[in-house]
Amino acid sequence: MDKDILEHGLTYNRRRFLSRLSLGLGSVALGSLMIPDLFGSASADAPFTPGIPDFAPRAKRVIYLFQNGAPSQLESFDYKPKLREMVGQELPASVRGNQRLTGMTAGQSSFPLVGSFYDFKQYGESRAWISDLFPNTAKIVDDICIIRSMHTEAINHDPALTFFQTGAQQGNRPSMGAWLSYGLGSENKNLPAFTVLLSRGKGNGQGVYSKLWTNGFLESTHQGVQFSASEDPVLYLKDPEGMNRFERRKMLDKLAELNNLSYQEFGDPEINAKIQQYEMAYRMQTAVPEITDVSKEPDDIIKMYGPDCLVPGTFAANCLLARKLSENGVRFVQLYHQGWDQHGNLPNEMAGQARDVDQASAALITDLKQRGLLDETLVIWGGEFGRTNYSQGNFNKDNYGRDHHPRCFSIWMAGGGVKPGVYGETDDFGYNIVKDPVHVHDFQATVLHLMGLNHEKLIFKHLGRRYRLTDVSGKVINDIIA
Amino acid sequence: MKINLKGLAENLLFTLDVFLLFLLFFGSKVSIPVWLQPLGRMHPMLLHFPITLLMLAVLLEFFRFRATYAKETLYLNFTTGLLLTGSLLAAVTAIMGIFLSREPAYGGNMLGWHKWTGAGVVFAASLIYWSREKSWYKAPLAGTGALIVVLGLIFAGHYGAVLTHGENFVMEPISKTAAGSKVPLEDARVFEDVVMPIFSQKCLNCHNPDKAKGGLVMSDFAGLNKGGKTGKLFVAGKPEISLLLQRLHLPEDDKKHMPPKDQTQLTAGEMDILYHWVKQNAVTDKKVADLPADDSLRMVSAVYLAPAEVPDEDYDFGAADEDDIRKLSNNYRVIYPLARNSPALLVNFYNKANFKPELLKELEPLKKQIIALNLSSMPLKDADLKLISGFRNLRKLSLNYSDLEGPGLQELTGLEHLHSLSLSGTGVSAKAVHDFLKKSMVKHLALWNTPVKDKQLQQLQRDNRQVRIEGGFRDEGKPIKLNQPKLNAEGSLYSKPFRLEATHPVRGVSIRYTLDGSQPDSLNSALYTAPIPVGEDIVFTARAYKKGWTASDPLVLPLYRNSHKADSAVHVQGPRPDLNGGGPPALIDGRFGSLNIYNGFWIGYVDNPMESLLFYKQPVEVSSVGINVVSQVKNAFFPPLSFEVWGGPDKQHLRMLGVVRSGAFRQDDPEKIYNIVVRFKPVRLSCIRVVARNLKKIPSWYPDQKMKPIMFVDEVLVN
Repeated sequence: MDKDILEHGLTYNRRRFLSRLSLGLGSVALGSLMIPDLFGSASADAPFTPGIPDFAPRAKRVIYLFQNGAPSQLESFDYKPKLREMVGQELPASVRGNQRLTGMTAGQSSFPLVGSFYDFKQYGESRAWISDLFPNTAKIVDDICIIRSMHTEAINHDPALTFFQTGAQQGNRPSMGAWLSYGLGSENKNLPAFTVLLSRGKGNGQGVYSKLWTNGFLESTHQGVQFSASEDPVLYLKDPEGMNRFERRKMLDKLAELNNLSYQEFGDPEINAKIQQYEMAYRMQTAVPEITDVSKEPDDIIKMYGPDCLVPGTFAANCLLARKLSENGVRFVQLYHQGWDQHGNLPNEMAGQARDVDQASAALITDLKQRGLLDETLVIWGGEFGRTNYSQGNFNKDNYGRDHHPRCFSIWMAGGGVKPGVYGETDDFGYNIVKDPVHVHDFQATVLHLMGLNHEKLIFKHLGRRYRLTDVSGKVINDIIA
Repeated sequence: MKINLKGLAENLLFTLDVFLLFLLFFGSKVSIPVWLQPLGRMHPMLLHFPITLLMLAVLLEFFRFRATYAKETLYLNFTTGLLLTGSLLAAVTAIMGIFLSREPAYGGNMLGWHKWTGAGVVFAASLIYWSREKSWYKAPLAGTGALIVVLGLIFAGHYGAVLTHGENFVMEPISKTAAGSKVPLEDARVFEDVVMPIFSQKCLNCHNPDKAKGGLVMSDFAGLNKGGKTGKLFVAGKPEISLLLQRLHLPEDDKKHMPPKDQTQLTAGEMDILYHWVKQNAVTDKKVADLPADDSLRMVSAVYLAPAEVPDEDYDFGAADEDDIRKLSNNYRVIYPLARNSPALLVNFYNKANFKPELLKELEPLKKQIIALNLSSMPLKDADLKLISGFRNLRKLSLNYSDLEGPGLQELTGLEHLHSLSLSGTGVSAKAVHDFLKKSMVKHLALWNTPVKDKQLQQLQRDNRQVRIEGGFRDEGKPIKLNQPKLNAEGSLYSKPFRLEATHPVRGVSIRYTLDGSQPDSLNSALYTAPIPVGEDIVFTARAYKKGWTASDPLVLPLYRNSHKADSAVHVQGPRPDLNGGGPPALIDGRFGSLNIYNGFWIGYVDNPMESLLFYKQPVEVSSVGINVVSQVKNAFFPPLSFEVWGGPDKQHLRMLGVVRSGAFRQDDPEKIYNIVVRFKPVRLSCIRVVARNLKKIPSWYPDQKMKPIMFVDEVLVN
């Protein structure tokens, strides 16, 4: 006992305590040296270099055929024979669960199921089911990957669209095209890296706004440039009347001198961005007319896309233009085709919408393929959410409408390292996902991945917070990558 | 102070324990610098020492309190030294192990078990060391501690061995071949090369003649056919009720799910193969190639047998000089790296007006690094391809729409890495391509829109099965419908005579038209050559024609003159509220209803006639007033019975200017939109009253007597 007490004193004197403590702290300090971003900022170790991919990309360019208004998955790519069998019966409460409804059907006392007015058939190696509304898409089925298990968080058009494009529902964040322009830079310095093309079908439509192609807090050179159907595809590109190209050059040089002076005084990077934009506009003066001129396209091309491709402002014309822009190194070509919001009169309106886009969408894939470009160009086709399996308002078998449905919808992707096939599955009611769900952030992470960017590293610090396209989530869907 | 080796070692042990603890909890955040990795990799070497030393030390510790040994100083000192050395080495080994575990090759449950048992050994041994001189430390505790350490060592050692050598390392030589190399599709047999390998890889470990869990042996067809204790594995042709597939598809947590939870699971593709194999009566004698091309089993097998994707390439050349890249890159010759830390470069050319072959020659300093070259649309000649032959590492070359004719392709046959070549839109001949493919390694060739004909293309594909040749869109001669012509007039109303221009975007289209509303045809109708002067009311109908295409749908545009658009309008007797066409201004809004009545522009009357007033701020001279109406008998849409026009300086002083009455309506009245016009001597007026009387009762000849007639009118035309 005596010995123990004595020993205790020896064991726990101050010197030993301190030396042990310092040893322990030393160990922790040694360990912490191996955590690269414990003390420094994330960028201290491996700085993200804008303009260069993190790793070898599968796709160099994206063409996004956005079907604005949300086409019904139940009349396109998600075949649900059960809905036809159960037509008119109530949607079981157990299937609906706690899914919120929009203001448009919240007051509805019953939710009668309704099956597709259009028949489906199986196509290609994947035996994918595709509705009769999309005969041309069916022909390219072996080139596309149909994802039937997309889901989103928003239930109304604007937030859902904004979410798809910018990764946040509220807006003011950079659009996907702006992020890619920032992350990868431009291939062709004579054209913007991010362009936008609009078209409108006859169906019930929803607006699109320039906030969808905004650069947000990124430098304004990354903003989407809209090509319009008018005589001046890009506004304010032409020299003003009475000014020739030589004078324009002189004016730009003088302007750049002045801008440089004010840059030296204020150091605002936006001044440099401005100089660059003027210079690009100058180069675009020759590059754009060459690209928007479709008069030299061979007859085969016009037959492929359909003769509407020669009518500026149609979806077909925009698809053709998208191919030309992409072929010339535009990183991200964003199309919007409006008119897919079929709350009523769905069979009729959707047939019209499908007629507008089916041939040209398929032609775009074939066209890229025959130029050896499909393997480096990622094409995406899809809307912002899905549509309900029950009818909105009064219905009968051949005239009904569908409300917004965020829990599941279908999109397709092609080329750019995507493995053709069918991915994901919904239940027999086409209401909930049962296999391989893909969240919008997963989709965005996958697109960035295909472009050679790690979505967790593509970061921009703004107002003290680090921002990503995928915010704080998103995982790459490796199963759809070839 | 004398340097005390034991004290130093004790301090070191404490330090390492804390460090280990730190690594255990923050290990996932730690990244191991490259120079530490060799240290980590020494873990499998070093670990044998602590195992032996600790085994021996705890063995001695186990017997320490025996009377014979308790007094032996040498025994006690030796044990202390052994335990300290063993613990120290164990701690070092464990830390190295954690370094090693951060390398990407390791992961999973097994690693977790190994890590925690290993660390457990270190801490158990350390604890014994620190507490073994305490008064409460007696024989039972010593025994238990020793046992724990020994068990820990055994388990940690076992898990570690599995990690390094694999699950079945010891028994592997006895159990037969597992993952064999995959056979080419043409030679593959359904059972031996597709089905059996799945069983061998995923099931055979437990269901082999030696182990035969559940009495099931899956090493050959006889065993599979026989089944196990639970019954037969499958019912040929009926996968839905086959035990094999039921077990595979049970939730992974289910006890009966196969393979058991922690074993490698079957992929979805493999399950598909088994499903279709059972469905096709579990064939054993067929080749995959014997199955029809659209057979499901064949398709899933083809996917299974497809060679695995080659991972990202490691390039065997170094990076180019950054100055060279910067100097050579400009707006029309863009050079950019494939990825960060990659030496590979991609080069795109733009602006054909500026292109010269010298621009290619200048790339000489980068010739090793360029792996992709895009010269699409550049005026590149066959002779220029010699310049490209020096880019030894070129993978992808795009020459679409260049001025090639073919002979120069020979220059490219030396590029042994070139796998993708695009020649679409060039003048290359089938022969040139044929000669090129004989010597080239290219895997993917785009040949759309070249002089190579369909037949030649098929022949090329047959001769070169290793190459994917992209022929692209081929016009199958199926006529495609033209779109409608475009006109320079938007709406149907005009106020002054003008020239109507028609255009069509497709080259070589002819436009035929009529002015009376009849259908144009491709032979007799007027051919549009120049703008048409318009001054009257006409119905312009036009179709576009081109050889090899189907004629467009007719474009119909009624053109009505309306010289004096009223400034305002009010209804005296209004339309049915739901058919108001947008309110009184609908009479003068310039928008016309079409035969699709419910487009919202028509104004419909059911119970009362139409009576409206039109006002002008300044008096106008008028000689006719018309109204646009529709007749569509099938829907009971009847035009007015009569149309009256009144006029005057204001609404109190109106006089009747004229009236037009319709004839009797008949069941076979054609569906049409037309104008009813009242003409009179020119008169100056500021107010017009129009009255259109509607049919109130459905005619007796009408098939559905329950229908109510509706009268639809639209624009009022004042001239």
